[in-house]
Amino acid sequence: MTTTLPAPATRVRPQTLTRAVHSEWIKTRSLRSTWVGMAAVAVVMIGFGAIASAVSTGSVQPPGPGGSDGGGPFGGGGPLSTVLTGSTFAVLLIGVLGSLAGAREYGSRMITASVVSVPRRWQVVVAKAVALSAAVIPTALIAVLGSYAAGTAILSANDAPTASLTDDDVLTTLFGMVGYITAIALIGLGLGILLRSVAGSIGAVVGGILILPNIAGALLPDSWDTILRFLPSSAASAFTAVAAAGDSKLGAAAGVAVLAIWVAAAVVAAVVSLSRRDV
Amino acid sequence: MIELRHLTKTYGTKVAVDGITATIRPGVVTGFLGPNGAGKSTTMRMIVGLDRPTSGTALVNGHPYATSRAPLAEVGALLDAKAVDSGRSARNHLLALGATVGIGRRRVDEVLAQVGLSEVAHKAAGSFSLGMGQRLGIAAALLADPAVLLLDEPVNGLDLDGIQWIRDLLTELAGEGRTVLLSSHLMSEMQLVADHLLVIGQGRILADSSIADFIEESPGGNAVVVVSPDAGRLAALLAGDGISLTTREPGRFEVRGTTSAAIGDLAAEHGLRVHELTPVTASLESAYLELTRDSVEYTATVPTHELAA
Repeated sequence: MTTTLPAPATRVRPQTLTRAVHSEWIKTRSLRSTWVGMAAVAVVMIGFGAIASAVSTGSVQPPGPGGSDGGGPFGGGGPLSTVLTGSTFAVLLIGVLGSLAGAREYGSRMITASVVSVPRRWQVVVAKAVALSAAVIPTALIAVLGSYAAGTAILSANDAPTASLTDDDVLTTLFGMVGYITAIALIGLGLGILLRSVAGSIGAVVGGILILPNIAGALLPDSWDTILRFLPSSAASAFTAVAAAGDSKLGAAAGVAVLAIWVAAAVVAAVVSLSRRDV
Repeated sequence: MIELRHLTKTYGTKVAVDGITATIRPGVVTGFLGPNGAGKSTTMRMIVGLDRPTSGTALVNGHPYATSRAPLAEVGALLDAKAVDSGRSARNHLLALGATVGIGRRRVDEVLAQVGLSEVAHKAAGSFSLGMGQRLGIAAALLADPAVLLLDEPVNGLDLDGIQWIRDLLTELAGEGRTVLLSSHLMSEMQLVADHLLVIGQGRILADSSIADFIEESPGGNAVVVVSPDAGRLAALLAGDGISLTTREPGRFEVRGTTSAAIGDLAAEHGLRVHELTPVTASLESAYLELTRDSVEYTATVPTHELAA
């Protein structure tokens, strides 16, 4: 029936989740903003970590007996939280990039082409999540390990206490931070698809996840801490050595679980919204 | 083949598409006409599952589009040429779409050449003119060699060469046995390229016929203009079954349902003077305007037998 186009038509294969992921990866890597954004995350994270290490060499406390060195985001803590100071800003930035990844196709209407080519729409969301993770995880690894290497070198050059990779919980903390950055990117992605607006989803991820908890922690009575510790940033503080709202921390495993539930909730909400609503 | 069965879409209380039933057949170019807001785009969006019907179904090659194994090979759709990410190059845009059905660089380059965009393949789609954007949209629609093509206003912004090119392309694609559904506001264009017409107004089908029948059967269809000092008497003789008469000015009237030869013979038989006897073939545009005007305003037919003499 359809045989005589000018050149022999290509063999077409079934549309699968793997091919949807491939498509989203081509989209992700072919935007300059992806690479600029990812580079900015690494630069901000490593840069702030290096500055914090340089200016707070005198106040860095030796790691506690448990290896966890707590402390605030601006020094006054152990060596690990000092070298990871940039994470606050890196997480903020990755939340914005995640929101953009989710919402930008609504601005351009490219989303119509995406769901026409992949009509089983849950696959669009999952494919976007995989493609975004493929860009974010290596970036987070470079940012976190770079911060650790640079910060530790600065601290040790100034004879301040440092955290060794072989110390208890140091590797857990570093990889936990990689996980936290990835999780916030995915929550941003989910919100972007859910809210269909770049501005709206950036506002939601920055305000709701990163600013609101700190304000709430400061203003609400202590009894609220039980609830606040289930917020994404607080849950992450259980395994990233950076303090957040709700001082009574969850255990590391519980923190990972709570954050994973937030990610799953955002992705599932995006799937439901994209599948049910007209595009 | 596209089958629409009682397809309905409502937004709140507004009915955009109101129980459309139609079959769009392969092998011909089907023109999709209707005033703005008649429901053309909504219907096309429902065919590829962008909008969910409130009730009814749209089937592509016998099944709902969403269940296609290789969607892009089933339907190539150009619904909104601006729906591309402005920061991505034309080539990467097509590579990303093609990847969903395993299409790679060779086919992408081939289609870019076919639509004349090879030179700008690496430029950001955001820098494209309206016409180049349309070409990119057509490239995306052709990418996976689909059996069904849905094109919403494809000639928008194309230059004369481009319009000629797409006219030939659509004719060729239909000739290969594909189903081609095309909407356009350019009636002269539609008259040249379409074989069959689907006309909708206020969400309902007003006409579903071949383009020749559509013009023939329209109220403004083939007519004969008669100018005669004896108009009143001639009209009275002509009035009868299947013949309609319209007077626009004294001494001049239009006759439908008979031929100029028959009118001339009748006049001669009764010794009536005829100054002018002109067969008029209606254009698609006039036929369309007649049809949609009637459907929109629901006005009563003007009595055609009150002729001034």
